[in-house]
Amino acid sequence: MTGREVVELIRKNVGVPWNEQSYRDTFKLGNPDSTVRGIATTVMVTFDMLKRAHQAGLNMIVSHEDTFWNDRDETKDLTSNPLYKMKTDYVLKNDMIIWRIHDHMHAMRPDFTVVGSLRSVGVKGGEDAVMRARVYTIPETTLGEFASQVKRLTGSRAFRCVGDPRAKVSRILLGPGYATPRMTAEADVVIGGEQQEADGAFDDVEYVADAASLGMAKGLIMLGHVVSEQPGMEDLAKWMRTFIREVPIQFVPAEEPFWT
Amino acid sequence: MKKKDVSRRQFALLAGTMAAGAGRIPLQGADALTAQEVAHRMQTSLGGEWPASGPDGFKAGDPNTPVTGIATTAMATMGVLKQAAMAGTNLVITYEPTFFGRQENPGVADDPVYKAKKQFIEKNGLVVFRLRDRWQARKENDMTTGLAEQLGWSKYRVRPGDSIYEIPATTAEDAVALIRKKLSLRGGLRAVGDRKARVRRVMLHPGTMTSAVMWQRYSETDLTITGEVREWENTHYAADIFTAGEGRGLVTIGRVVSEDPGMRMCAEWLKTLAPEVPSRWIPAGDLYWRAV
Repeated sequence: MTGREVVELIRKNVGVPWNEQSYRDTFKLGNPDSTVRGIATTVMVTFDMLKRAHQAGLNMIVSHEDTFWNDRDETKDLTSNPLYKMKTDYVLKNDMIIWRIHDHMHAMRPDFTVVGSLRSVGVKGGEDAVMRARVYTIPETTLGEFASQVKRLTGSRAFRCVGDPRAKVSRILLGPGYATPRMTAEADVVIGGEQQEADGAFDDVEYVADAASLGMAKGLIMLGHVVSEQPGMEDLAKWMRTFIREVPIQFVPAEEPFWT
Repeated sequence: MKKKDVSRRQFALLAGTMAAGAGRIPLQGADALTAQEVAHRMQTSLGGEWPASGPDGFKAGDPNTPVTGIATTAMATMGVLKQAAMAGTNLVITYEPTFFGRQENPGVADDPVYKAKKQFIEKNGLVVFRLRDRWQARKENDMTTGLAEQLGWSKYRVRPGDSIYEIPATTAEDAVALIRKKLSLRGGLRAVGDRKARVRRVMLHPGTMTSAVMWQRYSETDLTITGEVREWENTHYAADIFTAGEGRGLVTIGRVVSEDPGMRMCAEWLKTLAPEVPSRWIPAGDLYWRAV
């Protein structure tokens, strides 16, 4: 089975029209016609996860995010970059293949990134979640207690919160990755992956901080990109196992990159 | 014996008080220093283009308001506005937006937070002016020198005008502890890379750091200190460099807190530009906290 054949099977099973225009969901490195010995799903093609995948005998990487530190995986400014050379050499030397699945995951029903993210923070009922964010109600708690639950369940070391920890909250609006939703009247807590902190389309950080200053019960939890979209890549691996049985498929997480 | 020094500001304050004839009442009428006049002086001094479509300009309040004092900040949060009103500084100069986005009021006209904030500004006679592009473009680059000064590193600058500082040898972990203390950080700081790295050369890059800067300069220094980056870009890059065996680190302290110190320099500058009124720095501070 080749890398190209793996992608062809994904295409047949994805359940949404294939977007040929996507610059994201393409082969990034390696020979698509190489023989696949095993598949690793991950949220981000970090150098560290590449090494772990190789050690586990998995030579095809199916990643949600980029390989070369920019969304388009543009490499023209990196050709003389030593890190780029080292990472590229590692992949080619070990006959690895990298393919990205981003746009199609967010188009799928359900969207595993949202399903996984909701599950990872202990919000129930999100098994059929899609990209368009909706509000989930949890038993009333405080923002501080909910944040403690998120910490316990995700194991994240570095996620950040805004708002009054004593605020009573029950309505959760979640968008993983860079799709952090804007706070609405219908939600108490917005959970996102990352977002530009200020001067963007909508600055949740300032909005929630101001709401808190005004005594309104609003909270923001920024999980980080990897932490927020990672759990769904395990769901993706499970899904792929339903139609690819020739080779092992493993979820190989990228590490949360931060220390504090 | 040294003559008693009356600063220009104090003198102007005294003169103003006498002319107004009563304590803290600002000058009224033709001689009053209006927010518009302060804006005019800033524009004249800083020069350059001030397009109406750009970020710089009045965002709330009446530009004809007589100014009782000026407050500078990285972001005019409710917390900052409350402090400004309490301190009697009714002109607030902010580096970042006031109403939750680049467009100021991005479609939230009847939003309760927007309405309450706007009402607070109006009720307290505040005027909010955003000063970003032209302040950042100023040749002194005080966003960087301000951060260096706050960290106690001014004297370690390697080349005038550049952002690299050679500090006394430390480790990434110890540098982070110092940054946390000097900037009064709460929960916003996140670091990537080698926490045990030996640190001498640091780069200060307040605000947002693009991947172009990262790719070009990251390996020049032991520790890069910036406000924020995109995680799938520069965080990912710093993590990969660490995996590749390079002992260096990236510290993101939060965009707004990284910009606060530069606005302290702005308050100092405004003291010379508008000596009739007091200017003070009101930091927006670290808005994040960590779960326990």
